[in-house]
Amino acid sequence: MTPISQPVSQPISQIETDTLQTISRTTWRYWLGLAIAVGLTAIGGWCWSQMLRHGLGVSGLNAPVMWGVMITTFVFFIGVSHSGTLVSAILFFTRSPLRAAIGRSAEGMTVIAILTAGLYPIIHIGRSWMFFFVLPYPNQRGLWPNFRSPLTWDVFAICSYVTVSALFLYMGMLPDLALLARRVTGWRKPVYRILSLGFAGTDGEWCLFEKAYPIFAGIVIPLAVSVHSVVSWDFAMTVMPGWHSAIFPPYFVAGAIFSGLAMAILLLGGLRRGYHLERYIKADHFDLLAKLLLAMSIVMTFVYATEFYVAFYRGGSTEAELFRWRATGSYAPLFWLVVACNTVAPLACFWKRVRRSLPAMIVIAVLVTVGMWFERFVFIVTTLAHSFDPAAWRTYKPTLIELGVCLGGFGWFLMLFLLFIKVFPAMSIAETMQGQHAATREGADE
Amino acid sequence: MSDELIAVFADPDAASHALTALAGEGVTRTRIASPAPFPAVEETGRPGPWRVLGWVALVAGLTGLACAMALEVVTSKSMGQIVGGKPPVSWTAFGVVMFEMTMLFAGIATFIATIVLAAITRRQVARRARDAVTSERIVVTIPLDGTNADHREAITRCVSAAVEVLP
Repeated sequence: MTPISQPVSQPISQIETDTLQTISRTTWRYWLGLAIAVGLTAIGGWCWSQMLRHGLGVSGLNAPVMWGVMITTFVFFIGVSHSGTLVSAILFFTRSPLRAAIGRSAEGMTVIAILTAGLYPIIHIGRSWMFFFVLPYPNQRGLWPNFRSPLTWDVFAICSYVTVSALFLYMGMLPDLALLARRVTGWRKPVYRILSLGFAGTDGEWCLFEKAYPIFAGIVIPLAVSVHSVVSWDFAMTVMPGWHSAIFPPYFVAGAIFSGLAMAILLLGGLRRGYHLERYIKADHFDLLAKLLLAMSIVMTFVYATEFYVAFYRGGSTEAELFRWRATGSYAPLFWLVVACNTVAPLACFWKRVRRSLPAMIVIAVLVTVGMWFERFVFIVTTLAHSFDPAAWRTYKPTLIELGVCLGGFGWFLMLFLLFIKVFPAMSIAETMQGQHAATREGADE
Repeated sequence: MSDELIAVFADPDAASHALTALAGEGVTRTRIASPAPFPAVEETGRPGPWRVLGWVALVAGLTGLACAMALEVVTSKSMGQIVGGKPPVSWTAFGVVMFEMTMLFAGIATFIATIVLAAITRRQVARRARDAVTSERIVVTIPLDGTNADHREAITRCVSAAVEVLP
């Protein structure tokens, strides 16, 4: 595969043609992917309609396990959302040439993942039409949200994050939308012109964008960290064994970056293969993502070990019993699946050949995605199923309806991503041009 | 409408060299419109009101902080209930929403300010120059007000690498 340091040999204008392939060309692979995504979404929609019709009784949720597949999927997609904008913002600050290729898709993934995640608390409350109760607005009941509750913090954190991430994504797209408005014909021309907000590429505009972008990136990074910390506090602020731990915010942030990187590898791999973007999404990109994935895997392994170590060091506590049960009880196969996927499988990334092989990275990314979903499932369900009172211990088994809603979320996510790359450039044209020009200049200087 | 020359370049470096040469001839107030932030953008002296963006973000962030404090204190006091052992006004618990709203307001204000200021600043470049930009065309506008024939000839020499010159 082409190394990143090698400048792309075609003229700058060719970059526009190549990177807009996702919009201009629709392959059978795209239609197949979209059909699968729409199908899964339809299954999820039908399952949710059953929940609305018959109530949460159709799920496997019951005391004491009142959080199951839906909250697991919520935490999972919040995690996926975490990595995109964060990685993009960090690559911006480090002036990395990798950003041009992966930044846009990663930012799009963030917004789409958070929109997907946001559905699950609404679904989970059962009477979804009452969701507006959590919003702070003057009402006849004289009730306001409880600002001392982490669940209320969550609403604010997620709303802030999705808003700022969407603006970050949109602002970065304006130059490309302006180019698109000049390129397309028919009804799409005025649409892109309106969406580009009149961007013309004047020096004054570029200076404004150069100033605005670091401000945005500076806002997005702490917001991204805060969002997953707040999600972790939904658990850590309780007194439940296995949850009430100070390690939870960094644990969640690391896990979020880990799962987000895996999802980014899957989406970028699909883009590269589906649209032959080998000149732009290169082996070096996957190499870097693989190294990050490996680093986060090691962090996760350390966190898993720390949790067990602290629980057993204290001795004789409910927590020690919980962790023993987690590794040997009813959910032990899932726990060891998590260990295999998140701790063992990414170790293959120590080998350069694996890091630079797209099929190998896709397999590892799938394993990590599966592992991270089950990791959330295991820590949520085992704590609730096996907490303080042995008389209340009970195992939880999700119903097909719940699993359908979960699959629907994955379909919804994929569908929105496929629609996103069909409407908006999947790579930053302006940044790719800039990077190409800089690389050509460097080559000429040498 | 002011008298100006519009030179269209196919290569960012050619535009950059032309701007350097124009500066050598004492021609300032040149402007550029390009499909990407090529180094030539730096040659025009970074015009525009971009310096205010940091202040906009700061003021908006502080406004968000104040709004969050007001929202949390006023609404919690109106209920007056002790929940989870925490008093109605509990700053440790309120900190999270205060942080989120600070960032939210700063982000939204930065975006709006960027868009509004961009709309203002782009009007300083002639519309026909802006319309000439494509992925392979970089446009430089050169003011000709008060220039004599010799100066104009020197300017024309500076932009000789242009693929098109619009009078």
